[in-house]
Amino acid sequence: MPRFLHTADWQIGRQYSRFAEEDASILADARFTAIETLAALATEQAVDAVLVAGDVFDAQNLSDRTIHRTFQAMAGFTGPWLLLPGNHDAALAESVWTHAQRLSAVPDNVDLLLTPEVRVYQDLGFAVLPAPLTQRQTYNDLTEWFDRADTPEGLLRIGLAHGSVEGQLAEEIDSTNPIAADRAATARLDYLALGDWHGYKTIDARTRYSGTPEQERFKDNGAGQALIVDIERPGAEPQVQSHTTGQFQWIKHQDTLAVASDIERLMTELDALPPRSVVDLTLNGEVDLSGYQTLLHYLGGAEARHRSFQSHLSGLNLIPTEEDIAALHADGYVGEVIGELRERQEGQGEEADTARTALAILAGMLRENGTTSESEQVESAK
Amino acid sequence: MKLTRLRLDQLKQFRQPLEIRDLTDGINLFVGPNESGKSTLVRAIRAAFFERYKSSSVDDLQPWGDTSATPEIELEFDWQGEHWTLNKRFLGKKRCDLKVGSQHFSGEEAEEKLAEMLGYQFPGRGASKAEHWGIPGLLWVEQGAVQDIQGPVSHAGEHLQSALGQSLGEVASSGGDELIARVEKERAELLTTTGKETKDYKKVLEDYRHSRERLDALNQSVEQYRQQVDQLGVLIEQKQTIDAARPWEEQRRKADTAKTQLNEVQRWQSEQRQDQQALDNCRQSQAVYRQQLKDFENQQHQLTQRAEDKAKAEAQLQECRDRRPQLEKRRADAEKAYEQARSRREQARHQAERTRLQQQIDELADRQSQQADALKQATELQVALKKLHAQQPDKDIDPAALAQLKRTEQALSELVIRQKALATRLNYELEPEQSITVGDEAVTGEGETLLVEATELHIPGIGRLRIQPGGTDVADLLRQQEALQSEQANLQRRLDIESFEEGEQRAADSQRLAQAIKHEQARLDILAPKGVDALRTTAEQDGARLETLRAQWAQLPEVQADVTSEENAEADLEAARAELKRAEDALNQHQQQQGLAEQASANAHAEWDKLNAELQAPDRKAREEQANKELTELKAREHQLTTAIDARQKQIDAAQPEVLEQDIERFTKSANAMETQARERAQNIRDLQVRLEEQGAQGLEEKRDEEAQINQRLAQRRDELTRRAQALDLLLKLLKDKRQALTRQLQAPLQKHLNHYLKLLFPQAHLSVDENLMPTTLTRPQGTGEEQGDLPSLSYGAREQMGLISRLAYADLLREAGKPTLIILDDALVHSDSQRLDQMKRILFDAARRHQVLLFSCHPENWRDLGATPKDLQALKVGYSAPASGDRGAERGGAASSNC
Repeated sequence: MPRFLHTADWQIGRQYSRFAEEDASILADARFTAIETLAALATEQAVDAVLVAGDVFDAQNLSDRTIHRTFQAMAGFTGPWLLLPGNHDAALAESVWTHAQRLSAVPDNVDLLLTPEVRVYQDLGFAVLPAPLTQRQTYNDLTEWFDRADTPEGLLRIGLAHGSVEGQLAEEIDSTNPIAADRAATARLDYLALGDWHGYKTIDARTRYSGTPEQERFKDNGAGQALIVDIERPGAEPQVQSHTTGQFQWIKHQDTLAVASDIERLMTELDALPPRSVVDLTLNGEVDLSGYQTLLHYLGGAEARHRSFQSHLSGLNLIPTEEDIAALHADGYVGEVIGELRERQEGQGEEADTARTALAILAGMLRENGTTSESEQVESAK
Repeated sequence: MKLTRLRLDQLKQFRQPLEIRDLTDGINLFVGPNESGKSTLVRAIRAAFFERYKSSSVDDLQPWGDTSATPEIELEFDWQGEHWTLNKRFLGKKRCDLKVGSQHFSGEEAEEKLAEMLGYQFPGRGASKAEHWGIPGLLWVEQGAVQDIQGPVSHAGEHLQSALGQSLGEVASSGGDELIARVEKERAELLTTTGKETKDYKKVLEDYRHSRERLDALNQSVEQYRQQVDQLGVLIEQKQTIDAARPWEEQRRKADTAKTQLNEVQRWQSEQRQDQQALDNCRQSQAVYRQQLKDFENQQHQLTQRAEDKAKAEAQLQECRDRRPQLEKRRADAEKAYEQARSRREQARHQAERTRLQQQIDELADRQSQQADALKQATELQVALKKLHAQQPDKDIDPAALAQLKRTEQALSELVIRQKALATRLNYELEPEQSITVGDEAVTGEGETLLVEATELHIPGIGRLRIQPGGTDVADLLRQQEALQSEQANLQRRLDIESFEEGEQRAADSQRLAQAIKHEQARLDILAPKGVDALRTTAEQDGARLETLRAQWAQLPEVQADVTSEENAEADLEAARAELKRAEDALNQHQQQQGLAEQASANAHAEWDKLNAELQAPDRKAREEQANKELTELKAREHQLTTAIDARQKQIDAAQPEVLEQDIERFTKSANAMETQARERAQNIRDLQVRLEEQGAQGLEEKRDEEAQINQRLAQRRDELTRRAQALDLLLKLLKDKRQALTRQLQAPLQKHLNHYLKLLFPQAHLSVDENLMPTTLTRPQGTGEEQGDLPSLSYGAREQMGLISRLAYADLLREAGKPTLIILDDALVHSDSQRLDQMKRILFDAARRHQVLLFSCHPENWRDLGATPKDLQALKVGYSAPASGDRGAERGGAASSNC
């Protein structure tokens, strides 16, 4: 009874430019860790083979070190690894694969499925029909030949492909690298392991996307898992169970503040997020100065709590109240300046942003002044 | 605010308590000599407000040498309807108490309350300094400091703005300036004053740009790499689909087939060329024989022609010889005619010479007879002239003297007429026989006598009457007459005449004589222009020449009568010479013609002889026959060759050798190109693979992604800095704008008060105020224009006056804002001259109507007319409170230019 580990879209070599340097390198490292996790899982689950359905690498032209590290991370599983080229690492005339081969970085137990031809694993009881991308993009269904390909009697027919199943992924309707939705049926496959879609998705009983083992987008679609697939015998329906492999959760949080108590509510919601996540927070609406200070103070703490915490406050207008101004001792013309900035921050343009920033700076300075002068007074009183 | 009472104890020189009561509204004048305690009093008031009661830095307040003393100050004042009492003790028993109505404050609370009310602050530690004094620092002026306005105004600035701000509707800001300075500082970290980026900010921008450039370069490399990968893919596919089949071999086979065909055709072409050559030779030989036969035929014709030519030349020679005698005769005749013409011309020349000489002789003889006549007449005229000249001296007379004489005579006659008019007329009608004597003259009968002078009338028997003509003119006229008569006599004597008429006669005679001389001389000049002697010499010379000419004429030969004129003879001779020349030329020409004709005749003979000999040669017939035979054989050979060539050419044309050659070339080239292409493709694939392997090893895309990451972060940092810079810029601009707007609102009222005082000092002057409410420039009318001066550039005295005026204007402003004002002046205006001082006193008096003023001076005489009762400090000190005596100050004072 063959058992497989189905994964895809490792995207090794991906960089995270939107994050702080330290966070970015940790997130990049997490992708190697994911391979180790997969290897450990494969060993633990005693699978017969690991099927990687494309986009092992994020780019063609990677450093020797990255290539070596990738294959070394697979050491935890000594069974066969079947790697399929995807759109990011297509099997071009010169590719990351030829590079890896030249480096002799590819261990013996790793099979590179660089050509569209049947591979027979007689001892293990299955034959593989791979549909590697040999161009970066194609508008033909590369799995078409599966329908006509013969495999030895009594072996499972396992398909590996990378692309978009037609009519299933609404967001990618016109996308390239199409795959017929009924390919598993027409090609008499026992299982079709797919890659390209980074989330976990079941197309039919025999056709699935495993998703990427380590999340790298703010999309809540079941990424960060691997699939263990059991198939009793040819023709039997595969039994699939998912296992979490991801380290970090990517969470996108959006909120609009209107009244003072909204800040309290927001903080409660943010507190509830799993720690050490990668968080992207966007706030809109209005907030008074004291609320703003509270918010900044809270966000400072939240940044420490998470792997990465990015907040976008440009949609948030500062609306100083009378009490704010009084508390800042912003009397006289300084008060007028606050009023003017408050008006100018309305709207979306760059000028509004500038005014908003100016207002925040002014409020900060006044607050500091207030505390200094108070402390001065205290000191002089002594 | 009105200070009502002041009490000091144990303070500096006041070891005993000093109390000053009954301070009034308006001016309070304190006078006293040096060291009488004025400055101590001022110091005490300042200490009461400015110094912390706890301060240990005020030991200068203690009396000298008494370190245990407790300097104490007590002040009472009214403000806002309440009575305030401040008691402050320093050092020994530190204490501060403030009573306001029924309320009581003590310690720092009391101090802060006062500071807030008056607008000043306390130092953090140590003694209070100028920067802490705020508004009182402006209104309480220390000795000799009234002219310094800059410092106090800036120290008071914030207090002023906040104090005055309340009256302007809460527009001032308590911490505004500090805030502006802070924003400016923050902005300066990012931007220069002109808005350029500063070092760090600039570096971020540059880093970003450099990173961007690197990223672009990497992107390009990656793109290039991808293109090369694609190219490699294409090449490999081509190699597999095209080159594997070796298509060039087929092309080479086709080329070989065409080559075999072409070789056969080329052999035919070679044979064709040989036959063609033979045909050409055959045709050339035929032409040679034909020419030979034709030449034989031509020689017979030529002999006939040459015989004709020979006869013609002989005839021409003969004709030439026949013409000679005729030409020789013509020349002889011409020679003879020429000789005759020459002889005739000689004769004509002689005749002409004779005629010319005869003419000259006739002319000369005629002139000689005329000259003889003229000479005779001239000699006679010369004699007559001599006679006339001899008469001339007798008749000569001076015309000027004569004119003078004429004028004298006229004057005399006028005088007589006037005498007659003026003279006493004596008419008488005497009895007959009776006579009287008038003067010396005896008179009878009747008549009239004019008496021009005293005349005695003697009437016989009666006696003598003496008649004196009236008037002086008669006597005067008589004297004039005598003078004129004397002149007349003189002139007549000089001219040697008896009367004027005689003179005139002589003048007329003299004129006539002169005319006669002139007339005769003119005639003589015509006859002998160069004188009579010259005339005579000319006549003698002409006579000699006539003799010579006559001798010449006689020598010339006699001539025949029919001689022609010289011109005709010359023309005839010329014609004869021309004829002779023509005759000689004709003869010469003929001789040449004859020579040529003889030569031509000889040549013709020789040619005919030569050709005739040739025609008569013996082998000529045999040669002609041989030539005819050869020609026939050659014609048969030509026909044979032409037939063979035509047949073979058709064969060659059908084979199309050019097309065959093109085919060979085309197939060969195609094969070569295909092979080359395949080789190149293989090479390209190898090259590309090597290159891509190299580039692949560099990890280009990874590097690119890393650079993109760096770039993104730099962009973020840049955007943050830019936003912050823009925000700070905006903030600073807004703060400054608002502050300026506020300042403008404050400027106007201050200006108003300044001008109020200024017009008392300088009518129509204007003192401007800057945005910090600092007086800056004084503008005064000067002549027709204006004079402008910044405050520091004014004289010490003027600065002092402007300083005081500014302070008073501030006081007015504060008062309007409902703030307490108290003005303290310690020896102000010592540098003002008496006239300005008078104006300043008016100003002070005016100000004192609104503010309480404490004025301290050691020059009481200067302030006597201030309208205030001076308080003598010395008297106060000893407890005697009496009005101070101004006279004592005046005794000491003199010019009030030194500080007390």
